[in-house]
Amino acid sequence: MSETSALLSTLGSHLGGKLLERSRLEASGALVATVAPNDLRDAARFIHESLDARFVISVGTDCRPMGQGFRVDHIFSQDRRRTWMVLRAFTGADDPKVPSITPEIRAAAWAEREFQDLLGIEAEGHPDPRRLVLADDWPASLHPLRRDVPYDIHPEPAVGQAQPLAPPPGDSVTVPIGPFFPVLEEPVFLKVFADGEEVVGLDYRGFFNHRGIEKLGDSKLTYNEVPFVAERICGICGFVHSTAYAQALENAVGAEVPLRARYIRSVVLELERIHSHLLWLGIAGHILGFDTVLMQTWRMREPVMWLMERITGNRKSYGMNLVGGVRRDIPANEHPEIVRVIERIEKEWLKIIEAVLEDTTLLMRLSKVGVLSTLDARELGSVGPTARGSNRPIDVRIDHPYAAYDRIPVHGIWKDTCDAAGRTLVRLEETLESIREVKQLLAEMPDGPIMRTFDEALPPGREGISAVEAPRGEVIHYVMTGDDARPYRWRVRAPTYANLQALGASLKGMRIADVPITLGSMDPCFSCTERMQVVDVRSGLVRVYSQRELHEMVRAGSGRGGAR
Amino acid sequence: MNATTVVVLKAVAYLALVLFASPLLEGVMRKVKAIVHSRKGPPITQPYLDLAKLLVKEDVVSEPGPVARFAPPAAFACVLASAFFVPFGVSAPAGSAGDLFVFVYLVTLSTSCVMAAGLAQSSPFSHLGSSREMMMLITAEAVIVISLLGVAVGGHGALLSALAVSGFRWSSLVGLCCYLLAMQALLGKLPFDIPEAEQELMEGPFIEYSGPSLALFKWTFYMKQLVFGSLFFNLFVGWPRATGGSVVGGLLNFAVNFFAVVVLSLVVVLIDATNPRLRIDQSVRFFGGLIAVAALGVGLAALGW
Repeated sequence: MSETSALLSTLGSHLGGKLLERSRLEASGALVATVAPNDLRDAARFIHESLDARFVISVGTDCRPMGQGFRVDHIFSQDRRRTWMVLRAFTGADDPKVPSITPEIRAAAWAEREFQDLLGIEAEGHPDPRRLVLADDWPASLHPLRRDVPYDIHPEPAVGQAQPLAPPPGDSVTVPIGPFFPVLEEPVFLKVFADGEEVVGLDYRGFFNHRGIEKLGDSKLTYNEVPFVAERICGICGFVHSTAYAQALENAVGAEVPLRARYIRSVVLELERIHSHLLWLGIAGHILGFDTVLMQTWRMREPVMWLMERITGNRKSYGMNLVGGVRRDIPANEHPEIVRVIERIEKEWLKIIEAVLEDTTLLMRLSKVGVLSTLDARELGSVGPTARGSNRPIDVRIDHPYAAYDRIPVHGIWKDTCDAAGRTLVRLEETLESIREVKQLLAEMPDGPIMRTFDEALPPGREGISAVEAPRGEVIHYVMTGDDARPYRWRVRAPTYANLQALGASLKGMRIADVPITLGSMDPCFSCTERMQVVDVRSGLVRVYSQRELHEMVRAGSGRGGAR
Repeated sequence: MNATTVVVLKAVAYLALVLFASPLLEGVMRKVKAIVHSRKGPPITQPYLDLAKLLVKEDVVSEPGPVARFAPPAAFACVLASAFFVPFGVSAPAGSAGDLFVFVYLVTLSTSCVMAAGLAQSSPFSHLGSSREMMMLITAEAVIVISLLGVAVGGHGALLSALAVSGFRWSSLVGLCCYLLAMQALLGKLPFDIPEAEQELMEGPFIEYSGPSLALFKWTFYMKQLVFGSLFFNLFVGWPRATGGSVVGGLLNFAVNFFAVVVLSLVVVLIDATNPRLRIDQSVRFFGGLIAVAALGVGLAALGW
């Protein structure tokens, strides 16, 4: 804590009288510095450049019910010092606006556009203030994350709100990639500008599947219902979200989690990373037309899914996490089976690494492709394998240890090639590291309870920040407690949110043929829908199936029932 | 039997073989690919079902016009016609009516029809596909032509049926290697399926085509597998054949040749299943180098090696 005090005094001496208030979120290891809106840009630049902190995310909060207008928090990470820094400013209830920090910190571009959309806090001087999250037919004056907007509002579609994407520069032509495209598993629209085969520019429109989960969290769900919804944010690595949320709330109220539960969280997180990286390699192979890789890695991945079903009850969306611990133990008699499965993967994985390193054709398609310089990776806030492939030594497990990662050694893996090949090698080696970690965690898992009873009557206004190293990079959850047994504000930042902003930088000068693999090498995960809509094309009628109907359809349609 | 009857019978046999055995070849290749993938794979008759399904569907083309209308049947017809000049264990039915240049023209015309079909649509993907098809044409197809030239120079003639292998020559070994690699590209197989590139261009020139037009394009590629495979065996690889011109001997040669083409297609599909797709610039560089090698083969042949 002496280091954080030193940080705070450095910041204090730079800002002088501009620092209105300083405080600490003890359990999160976070410093909070409040300044006037007009000093935000200067303070942000100082934190970013002089204190060498990495921009993480902005959180906008509607504090009008508390008589404080609107609040903007810019969260930074002091990697290596295990510290978060929150730069905070309040702005008036009427006509809320803060100066944009994007001109100083490129990584903040989306975060500011997002609070502009969702809370109506204007980011003055933002270089690209177009809509980011809200749909093209959403009314301009309605900001859904404000407290006085109900979660189930259904506004009349507005016209004329669509903001045009950039026109192709010069003589270039537009190559539309998406919203539906063979190698995009989810809808996203990349307007790629190409001169012949060379990419000269890019514009982006996404968030087609925005589900308003944060809004649900602060108006409909209770503290212990949120983990189950949080887990459904991602269809591949959902456990990182439920863990990050639970930890953020545990940090907010200073709740101690039993050690065995922390080990179990780490084991499940690492198993999730193993199956996610196997999945990724398959998709990367598929993008390059190398379907043999896809088929073989997904065959290897399947036993991990069965293993997850065996120890958690589900292949996916495990439902293991609650605030205060986990719901299921991993008893000692299950450990040999887990070790057997991952050791078999390890054996095959070593052969795959060897094959990839020797495959000159494959390396031709990955080397010097999607180049993202170390500087760009830092400036644009890249995280996870995307950053580590660009020689950025950041890994939440090392920088902000959580769960059981302060109990075992974690070997960070980074490569200096700054291209798709580097990101590939990082993931290949990380999988081996995860296998090693799971084995050590299982061997050293202490006995004891797996859950600490947790009273939902928490004091309001407590804040917590938590990060988890997801397979795709750093997941951030920020929680502020409320007074009706649910969060007042819950903010989620998935790693792809940070990584996608680097896509433009890494595509410039590449060839059209490299666009899919450049995108793929970031392992993007846009969002996943949690319910299905079936549209009858002839009548145009939309039918939304209820959960029970879907359940029954699945039961009737699949021959495979119950656990394997 | 008089000569005319033989030619007519051969022509009928050729037509039946090229049209109806080529999807089977594709089916076998898909099955082998599935085995490499640890998949069960579709039944080997699947390509027939695919063609049948597409042929009975409505022909929807985004931008109809004479090119969109006639390019698919023209591409199909060119490859079908080119088959009649290719020996298939027996001399070709039209073997004396046209030489290797007629064959090359027909094949190039077929590729040009595919390009035109892509350019007739306004999708950027089909334009990119067509421009890549063009680059493949002037590199990969050039390699094929030059390696065929080497055989012609070595055999002192240009009639494909008269050029069947006779004894080992260094020049034909060089030609064999060049031809085999370029064939992979002409058949649209990995690592050279660059014009179609599903994951990049969503089938490139074919993106806007459906129904019977798409079926004809697919069928064209199935037939090419048979035609180029057979040409490879008859011009570069020799094996003991029944001689004497008896009907049984001819049928035997015919059957052995078909079996050989099936075996060759296994090699093609194994290369396809074990490689990622190259980029067009990488591929152009590769075939640019190969043109020089193939030209060296022609030089060797001219020296009588």
